[in-house]
Amino acid sequence: MGILGLSKLLADVAPHAIREGEIKHYFGRKVAIDASMCLYQFLIAVRNESGQLTSVDGETTSHLLGTFYRTIRLIENGIKPVYVFDGKPPELKSAELSKRQERRDEAQKALDKATELGDATEVDKFNRRLVKVTRHHADEAKQLLTLMGVPYIEAPCEAEAQCAAMVKGGLVYATATEDMDALTFGSNVLLRHLTFSEARKMPVQEIHLSKVLEGLELDQKAFVDLCILLGCDYTESIRGIGPKRAIELIKKHKSIEEILKNIDVKKYPPPENWNYEGARQLFEEPEVMDAAKIELKWTDPDEEGMVKFLCGDKQFNEERVRNGVKKLLKSRSTSTQGRLDGFFTVLSTTPAKRKAENKKETPNKKKKTGAGAGRGRAKPK
Amino acid sequence: MFEARLTASATFKKILDAIKDLLNEASFDCSESGIQLQAMDNSHVSLVSLMLRSDGFDKYRCDRNLTMGMNLANMAKIFKCANNEDTVTIKAQDDADIVTFMFEAKKQEKISDYEMKLMNLDQEHLGIPETDFSCVIRMPSGEFARICKDLAQFGESIMISCTKEGVKFSTGGDIGTANVKIAQTNNFEKEEESVTIEMQEPVSLTFACQYLNSFTKATPLASQVQLSMSDNVPLVVEYQIPDLGHLRFYLAPKIEEDEN
Repeated sequence: MGILGLSKLLADVAPHAIREGEIKHYFGRKVAIDASMCLYQFLIAVRNESGQLTSVDGETTSHLLGTFYRTIRLIENGIKPVYVFDGKPPELKSAELSKRQERRDEAQKALDKATELGDATEVDKFNRRLVKVTRHHADEAKQLLTLMGVPYIEAPCEAEAQCAAMVKGGLVYATATEDMDALTFGSNVLLRHLTFSEARKMPVQEIHLSKVLEGLELDQKAFVDLCILLGCDYTESIRGIGPKRAIELIKKHKSIEEILKNIDVKKYPPPENWNYEGARQLFEEPEVMDAAKIELKWTDPDEEGMVKFLCGDKQFNEERVRNGVKKLLKSRSTSTQGRLDGFFTVLSTTPAKRKAENKKETPNKKKKTGAGAGRGRAKPK
Repeated sequence: MFEARLTASATFKKILDAIKDLLNEASFDCSESGIQLQAMDNSHVSLVSLMLRSDGFDKYRCDRNLTMGMNLANMAKIFKCANNEDTVTIKAQDDADIVTFMFEAKKQEKISDYEMKLMNLDQEHLGIPETDFSCVIRMPSGEFARICKDLAQFGESIMISCTKEGVKFSTGGDIGTANVKIAQTNNFEKEEESVTIEMQEPVSLTFACQYLNSFTKATPLASQVQLSMSDNVPLVVEYQIPDLGHLRFYLAPKIEEDEN
């Protein structure tokens, strides 16, 4: 689920850190994509009236359809994607994972009931809640990516952490995911909504960590603690301390240890055996592959291989697949547009005056609702 | 207090027409020496650099340095309300959040003024390094605009190759290829029609048509355009605004794909 309420908090406190742009502005950029998040999105979103799209044997193909079309869309816009798959979940996540399993069981029960009653909308609703990205889905997606000539990486642990390490290592420009914890892991640039469908016309959100820290007036260490207070996947947070209080406390005391010393523990009891140190260590020193050892290579797509893989059993339209391959080849052959950033040096930046921020309050409120709605799309694991 | 008065409001109209495709909004930096604007487009491919010298204005007063962030589309709307022969006066108080444009008709029988809210914009001041360009081409601005427009029909990018003999503009696409060669000509009687090339070494660079065609919107400002090129640095397209200053566009070249 990422970090609870962080995007909302940023929109309120550090609106300058969030910039909205169009997908076409990212031409020539290498972007690390959180694959599990993406596949989950596809399984949820790519559907027809009768549920998920399936192969002859009734196996779902939504994830492949999504991977195929959205990857082509990225490449057509000049983006060079690299997909990063999750490895084994960290031990600290087991509590969160079992919680998710419980919710899944509940949904299953509700689904059974709805099926019995024959309520189609309810069935569809709970079906979506039961969606899970399995090993099989991931393996098929990897196979497709190889055929498309797009590199992928298997993270030893959390994909977001691996993405962040690649951004820090200068291997890619940004991490593309909906999960805000990419920032907590230290990804300098986070792109949201990049893999959304074109039809939704969602602008791509670009969040810069340096500006987040500047806007919140925190350093990375304090920011990690703030994220733990807000609520992350790896440990619990203090009941009764919401985003507003959390940021106040962190600004004043700088770390969770100091906060615990200074707040009324009776009024705000911290969770029993609170392992915030473990969570903190996970954010600061996650298990990742060394970015310097990763080599990324984009190659020509294998047209016949793709036709063989996607058409036939998986019931893809051959003409469409071949068209897609043509698009991939065309994008590979055109030269990329350069940017001015490398040629000119930034002498000084004058951020808009404080006065402007007060005025902007109304649009921020709008953003709030937007961010709230977006949260529901985060991946469960 | 800031006040600048210019007899020809048409000049401002032309400037706005030239830059409003590339920029949605921009900050005008006003100082004693004049009005300056420097901004990159959203995707950081091109940069607009405008300089209007204070001595080019009919009246110019700037007590304190002032930065005015303006929405260019709205500014263009206001200037649409002016006749070409009108005199324009731009006024702003120190630390104001509005700017006033006043248009006076020739015989002063009609005065209209428009107030516009200013914006606070994030601004990056870029240091543009001095470059000794390998090739500097001067040619009629209309001719350059024509070539860009014509070639854009055939491909997405134009290769500009400059040698001693002349300049070659070429492109290619699904239909086929297109090449336009221009030789150096000195026309002493009509200087604005001549083509001159100053070359240290030959250069050949590729640029996106879309941006070149945006730049040529500045054609009405000047009869000649100057293109400066060197290997691996941005192209500079410069229009001199007579007696007032210049409008320059920088454009990053397209790069051939290396093996990742």
